[in-house]
Amino acid sequence: MTKKINGLIAALVLGNFLAFPIFAHHSPAVFDRTKEVKLVGSVKEFRWSNPHSFIELDVRNEKGGTDTWAVEMNPPNYLVKAGWTSKTVKPGDMVTIMVNPLRTNEPVGKFVSITLPGGQVLTENAPSPAR
Amino acid sequence: MTVSAKLFLVVVSLALGLRSTALAQGVAAPQSALSPENLSKQRPKAPFDLTGTWLHDNKDGPNSWRFVPPTFKLTPDAQEHYDAGQRATKEGKVYRDDIGQCWPAGMPLIMTRVWPIAMVQLPTAIYMTSAFMNSLRIIYLDGRPHSDPDIVVPSFNGESIGRWEGNTLVVDTKYFPGHHHWMDQGGASIPASDQLHIVERIRMINSGNVLEIEYTMTDPKSWDGEWKMTKRWNRVNEDITEVECWPDLNDHIRSTSSSSQIR
Repeated sequence: MTKKINGLIAALVLGNFLAFPIFAHHSPAVFDRTKEVKLVGSVKEFRWSNPHSFIELDVRNEKGGTDTWAVEMNPPNYLVKAGWTSKTVKPGDMVTIMVNPLRTNEPVGKFVSITLPGGQVLTENAPSPAR
Repeated sequence: MTVSAKLFLVVVSLALGLRSTALAQGVAAPQSALSPENLSKQRPKAPFDLTGTWLHDNKDGPNSWRFVPPTFKLTPDAQEHYDAGQRATKEGKVYRDDIGQCWPAGMPLIMTRVWPIAMVQLPTAIYMTSAFMNSLRIIYLDGRPHSDPDIVVPSFNGESIGRWEGNTLVVDTKYFPGHHHWMDQGGASIPASDQLHIVERIRMINSGNVLEIEYTMTDPKSWDGEWKMTKRWNRVNEDITEVECWPDLNDHIRSTSSSSQIR
């Protein structure tokens, strides 16, 4: 069991290292890689663009209002290798997105994975290292 | 000849002399690297042609894109920035990530972004376009000297002059702006000043599939002595694409304006 957990931790750390340099526009050090936050909401905007793609997601908060989360993603050439197209999500889609949040409690996160309306789960990196 | 006539002649000769000097300086300006006359001049064949698309090899570890050596001695001014960067890191924040604010990465960081670089080599110059923000870098190979420091326009990738030494291309780069330009991103916050000077020794190895570049960098306004390191790039079968910092990019990439950024 311990070995399995160690293996999982090693895989997560390796995964982070592989993912780390893809964020070349700005430093990814601001995201807390030890935490994952689950966001359930409605897609406000999905932009398929360089140097980053992004999703803006309207999420109901505890006060009954709505927070618009900014979810920062890899560029399209990486997303294509992970099974995405520019039409994978559209405004109004109800989706679940896992993010690494900022350490400052603002509604901003680094994309980890998405569960689409049909149940399909996508990440943003190809199963094997993109290079 | 009267004294006034002699004086007139002296003044005219001086004026003509000054004009001819100015003209000579004008003529001495280098021919365009793309002019047919310059391109067709007789030159020894270049030892290698690095035309192709190249991507920095990060196999040496997740930090192999960085250019800061393991140990260094900073000037008091650079040390202040470095210390502020370290304090930010401890708080889970980032100090002055100007690249994230759409300032150019500049040399040397532009060479090791995770985006490939398209390089086109001509007899007179090498044109490099990084797929990261389509940043342009030109290395002149036509024998011109560096520009007059009073005329040159400083730039983030600097002015690069190359010359062949055997099978090695030696490139000398200087004339940087000295603001919003850093030697690292999200780590060692060491400024690149207008005195940054970079010498690259470029070799093509592994049957033309790998570029190896040995860096020697000095910046007396930021650190003592020389920083030396060697990095590699792999030839990749890819085309670069247009990548711009659109004016509204950071409206959506909101970590760049969050309180996690120390400006």
